[in-house]
Amino acid sequence: MIALTSPYLWYITRATGFVALILFTLVVSLGMLVANRIGGTVVGRFEINELHRSVSVVALVFLVIHILTTLLDSFVATGWFSAIIPFASQYRRVYVAIGAVAFDLILAVWVSSLLKVRVKNATWRYIHWLSWLAFASAIAHAYLTGTDAKRGVGLAVVAACALTVLCTASWRYLARPTRAAGRTALSPLAAVRKPAATPNPLRPSISSRPGAGTGTNVSPPSSTPFPRSPSPRSKKKR
Amino acid sequence: MLGSQLPRLLHGTPGTPLTLAQHEAAFAPTNPRADLLTELEASGLTGRGGAAFPTARKARLLAEQRGHHKFVVVNAMEGEPASHKDQTLLSTNPHLVLDGAEMLASIIGASQVMVCVARDRPALVNYVKRALHERERKSRRSVKFELHTPPWRYVAGEESALVHWLDDNESLPQYRPQRPTILKLDRHPVLVDNAETCANVALIGRFGATWYRELGTEQSPGSALVSISGAVARPHVVEAALGTPIRSILVAAGAEAMPQAVLLGGYGGTWLSGQNLDVPYDNAFLSAYGASTGAGVMVVLGREGCGLVETTRVVKWMANESARQCGPCAFGLPALGEDLTELSFATASSPAAFSRLVERCGAIDGRGACRHPDGVVRFVRSALDVFGEDVKQHLRGAPCGAIRSQKRYATVPMLEREEELIWE
Amino acid sequence: MGVRRRPGAFVLKVNPILCDGFGHCHELAPELVTMDEWGYPIIKKELTPFENVGAYESARYAVRGCPRQALNIERVNEK
Repeated sequence: MIALTSPYLWYITRATGFVALILFTLVVSLGMLVANRIGGTVVGRFEINELHRSVSVVALVFLVIHILTTLLDSFVATGWFSAIIPFASQYRRVYVAIGAVAFDLILAVWVSSLLKVRVKNATWRYIHWLSWLAFASAIAHAYLTGTDAKRGVGLAVVAACALTVLCTASWRYLARPTRAAGRTALSPLAAVRKPAATPNPLRPSISSRPGAGTGTNVSPPSSTPFPRSPSPRSKKKR
Repeated sequence: MLGSQLPRLLHGTPGTPLTLAQHEAAFAPTNPRADLLTELEASGLTGRGGAAFPTARKARLLAEQRGHHKFVVVNAMEGEPASHKDQTLLSTNPHLVLDGAEMLASIIGASQVMVCVARDRPALVNYVKRALHERERKSRRSVKFELHTPPWRYVAGEESALVHWLDDNESLPQYRPQRPTILKLDRHPVLVDNAETCANVALIGRFGATWYRELGTEQSPGSALVSISGAVARPHVVEAALGTPIRSILVAAGAEAMPQAVLLGGYGGTWLSGQNLDVPYDNAFLSAYGASTGAGVMVVLGREGCGLVETTRVVKWMANESARQCGPCAFGLPALGEDLTELSFATASSPAAFSRLVERCGAIDGRGACRHPDGVVRFVRSALDVFGEDVKQHLRGAPCGAIRSQKRYATVPMLEREEELIWE
Repeated sequence: MGVRRRPGAFVLKVNPILCDGFGHCHELAPELVTMDEWGYPIIKKELTPFENVGAYESARYAVRGCPRQALNIERVNEK
């Protein structure tokens, strides 16, 4: 069992934590740009999408380094499972738990996106919405757990990240594109406009009344054109 | 009337449905035939819901599916506003329809039949409920019947939308890239057939394919129900042998003998010019005019009407009836409606609207998941063709009197606020 | 890669219900996809042979890049 007590591990943990936070802010903002259909003239829309996907990989790498260095550092006894199981850490139980929650959610989003071809569209979108929760947990974790985040540059960075996402989120909502409404709108932000009134087939507009339709083929119940036993009929009337 | 062997389906008085006892007195009781599928194939029956797909082929496809639980769905939704045939049939003799459904269930090996009637038609729902209740008491069924009442919408009668409603409570048509696709209800194969088709199956099951073929033509055997509205004294449903000239059907129904045009098939169908009305009512002949019998609808356009105005009203309503799942339909159909409005009012921008209209028709055609936009495009194109002279007049800035007069022929259900058609 | 040797052709297909008009397919495969006035793709209906490697790669990028996974490549064997 590797137990290192080097201050450098601690520095790397804190540094990669901040970098991961900044990168995830970038990822979330890029995701919102994709959703609002930005691009098409100078920058291609697919480029923003690709950027969103690539930056998320880099962000995850930094996050993994952040977690590994935390676990390896025996100065703070966090235990190996505290990264994915909340409240498994002895050190700052609640705050590390929040971090674990963020990591779990990010893993879920990431895995579902890697397997996007296999997963149903609706399922993928519901999981992807968890990234909001993941980001909120990351901000909370950064502020509460970090020794740097409570004042000075650290606080400025965390605040800036939170503010960026908040502003971009309001822009995302206000500038959302028109959607063909009426179907099951998966996004609560889609302006679902129901079509005007379920038309009543029994209430006509200006023209003649449809009525229930009265047939003219009124035949007395006794006579029937139907053969009692299968017998060929000779007449064929057109 | 229209054939001495009629009526076959509309046997009785609409509005007073035959009880089970009366039904069994009028028709021979059902003897379950072992060779029913072969009889169906020999009869050449095609679906009466609009697509005219051979019923036997559909049934055989379902019969070959593996599965212990299969379903039969009787589609009596009748999404077409101008169509009243299924309502009339169910209010005249519901047991004929239910017999046919039972026969289809026995062919494919289904244990359950779901009868779907629009919940906005409470009288009809009651008729069907009563009929089902009578059958239950007779307890001669090996098949379980259920009544379902989806809300009425145009697309709710589309078969994949109907199955989706039964599954997920929403009438949304599904994307079916490969045809024929087997529809699945809760992962089990399901056969969806129109109510009139089921009634025809019941007749074939009793009296055989040879008897069935005594009416109609070689390619389109049998009889069909036709809903006639528009320039008639009273809109109603007649039963006619397939192959009867359309003008005879109109005359028998008491419609104008020399109308301007007739809308055939439904609101997603085609206009047929008044000069061509001697064509037999048979898909083999109608296809030469780009028309088809469709859902058995004829809307007669009288002399004082304007085909473009009627087309505009219908298209605007159809645009609102889109399920809005696919962009080209959701955005394209209202755009067609706007262009048609401009064309109808013969303003200065009409020529631009006309060229936009033609272009947009080409852009929208075939790009939806279901055939709703295709139907509207076909309808618009047929209007531009049949009413070509009117279009020229409108483009010259001289609209007809129909705009100012309030005479309208097509039944377009009222929207609460007719201007507020769609969205942003 | 073996792509040049594959017989037959393909056609790009879109599921119109899933499609939300993002437009990435038009950017990635302009030779196969054009946009209509409402931002939805009009896809070439004619078959493209696999020998046209550029088009095939564009098609694959388009399938991968679609945010709604609405595209798929349908192979047609011309035998």
